[in-house]
Amino acid sequence: MSARAEYIVEMKGISKRFGGVQALKNVDLELRYGEIMGIVGDNGAGKSTLMKILAGAYVADEGKIYVDGREVHIRNPLDAARLGIGMIYQDLALFNNLDVARNIFVGREYTRGPFGILLDKKRMYRRAEELIRELRVDIGSPQFNVAMMSGGQRQMVACARAVAFQTRILIMDEPTAALGVREASRLLSLIRDLRDRGISILLITQRIPDVLAIADRVFVLKGGQRQDVMEVSKVTLDDVVTMIVKGKERGGNGDAQVEYKSFG
Amino acid sequence: MATPRLSTNLSDEDPESTGQEVAWTAAVPLRGRATVAGTPGTGGRLLSTVLNGLKKYTTLLVLLILMALFSFVSPYFLTSRNLINIVLQNTYFIIVAVGLSFVMIGGGIDLSVGYQMSLVGVVTAMMMVVYQLPVWLAVGIGLLLGTTLGLINGLIVAQIRTFPLIVTLATSTIFQGISYLISQAKTYRNYPAEFLFIVNGRVLGLPFDVFLALVIVICAHFIYSETRFGLRLIALGGNEEAARLVGLNTRFIKISAYTLCGFLVAIATMVMLAKANTMNSSFGPGTEFVALTAAIVGGVSFVGGEGSIPALVAGVFVLAVLGNGMQLAGWGTYAQYIVRGIILLGAVVFDEYQKKTRRALR
Ligand SMILES: Nc1ncnc2c1ncn2[C@@H]1O[C@H](COP(=O)(O)OP(=O)(O)OP(=O)(O)O)[C@@H](O)[C@H]1O
Ligand SMILES: [Mg+2]
Repeated sequence: MSARAEYIVEMKGISKRFGGVQALKNVDLELRYGEIMGIVGDNGAGKSTLMKILAGAYVADEGKIYVDGREVHIRNPLDAARLGIGMIYQDLALFNNLDVARNIFVGREYTRGPFGILLDKKRMYRRAEELIRELRVDIGSPQFNVAMMSGGQRQMVACARAVAFQTRILIMDEPTAALGVREASRLLSLIRDLRDRGISILLITQRIPDVLAIADRVFVLKGGQRQDVMEVSKVTLDDVVTMIVKGKERGGNGDAQVEYKSFG
Repeated sequence: MATPRLSTNLSDEDPESTGQEVAWTAAVPLRGRATVAGTPGTGGRLLSTVLNGLKKYTTLLVLLILMALFSFVSPYFLTSRNLINIVLQNTYFIIVAVGLSFVMIGGGIDLSVGYQMSLVGVVTAMMMVVYQLPVWLAVGIGLLLGTTLGLINGLIVAQIRTFPLIVTLATSTIFQGISYLISQAKTYRNYPAEFLFIVNGRVLGLPFDVFLALVIVICAHFIYSETRFGLRLIALGGNEEAARLVGLNTRFIKISAYTLCGFLVAIATMVMLAKANTMNSSFGPGTEFVALTAAIVGGVSFVGGEGSIPALVAGVFVLAVLGNGMQLAGWGTYAQYIVRGIILLGAVVFDEYQKKTRRALR
């Protein structure tokens, strides 16, 4: 990479509508290299939708996305993966009928044989074991079935999958929401770990204290519109909460709030 | 379908790897050392492990119990002649059930397989009897037709994304109508000797149709446990939304499953045709019920994602033994219908119960 861009990801003027719901309206987002950015906002604010657009699960109606300063077209999850973008979905999107290794690799299997039609199971299990070791997560063997796992372990499997393939940008959608205190704090330290390895992280969460504890900046959405991006070191919990609830007092966003209220 | 290779940062190949083979269904999630280590589970998990372990063998167990039972009812039951007969009468059911398993494990259903057989059967029979085409050509046309019927089902299901139950119910009656239009409701019998090789010929000491069924069963098992397509199909059946989110081409996989099913159903049709040495449009319908029941009895989940070929085959034989045994016991055909229905209900309830325990244990 030559002249390094200022931001690893830039989203510009992103809009997305689901039928009658304007989920996102002209949203800009910039993610710095190696930072953890918290994404906060009320239920239905559009957090998941914005991140799913970056991960290729949805395609925006309008707007542009830049990675390393270059415009990219992310039409599906594989496009995103190719750009090093991995996402842990709010509902985890795991396969309960498969074991850990298969959950990690399905869709991007190691293969052998003519045209790669045969699974290279040995290699998948070995790599899965490595990942488990690297992440220092407690999910036992890659041969365990995920259906039987605790919420925290399932979160870890989803995480292992999201970082398994040269991921540089990791999106996590409310990863601590279903976790107990202990598992949540373990996850937070894992997130720091990943950041220290150079992964830039977008962390959606409802737990503002978590954001203040580990994020560098916090991005506030309300009614599908960007309110503010704040340096965590310069704000208090109250500032963030106020921003989430009241939004930035600026003209012309009344409409969005009405829409949001009627559909949220 | 090209899969991008995204990964690097792998260690080098290590031939002495520990990665051992693992069963691919949730039916056998934990085994060997896996049962002991890891999850901080207790009684509940253990119970469900035992349940799951049992499930793997349930169908086989039921089969053995039935066999023991009927051996008391009739001394003729356990004779080799009777058992061989049971196998011979069920080769085409096995092939259809395997075909259906691809659709069902992928999360779909195909109610039209019996009507595909009706249509493919009369077309193939007429090619041989009326048009006097060479056997290989008639069979080729039949297989192509069957594959196309499967493809049509797949395209509709994948395209309009509606309940496959309704789609294939609709195509059932379409296929049936076409079958009667083509056959003019006539019967076509007496096929060339080359065609009857399917039932009269022997390969490796086995009747050809038994050999064929065996090869298909082994291939299917291999596809599920060893191939990328098999894994993706199972994943799709387990969680369609997740499949989409990991970038699988869900439409392609669905269409392939229905097409594969159509192809196997066409092969089964050839066996049926050769066995009967006669064909009319009423042959075939009803097979879907037997295959579906066998699949569910064999642990193939009707919501997708789970199943195993050995259990599926055992499922076919559970029904077969039941029919045969009841006949020997003098219960007649009508009672068999009732028992089959009850068995199907029982299998569904059992499946649902197991899912609930598993969910509750999470
Ligand atoms: N697939 C969809 N179809 C229709 N509407 C959708 C869809 N996904 C999201 N929405 C709507 O878009 C809006 C934003 O949803 P989104 O899930 O992005 O919110 P969120 O900020 O992630 O909320 P939460 O905190 O509850 O997860 C909501 O009004 C939601 O109902
Ligand atoms: Mg959300």
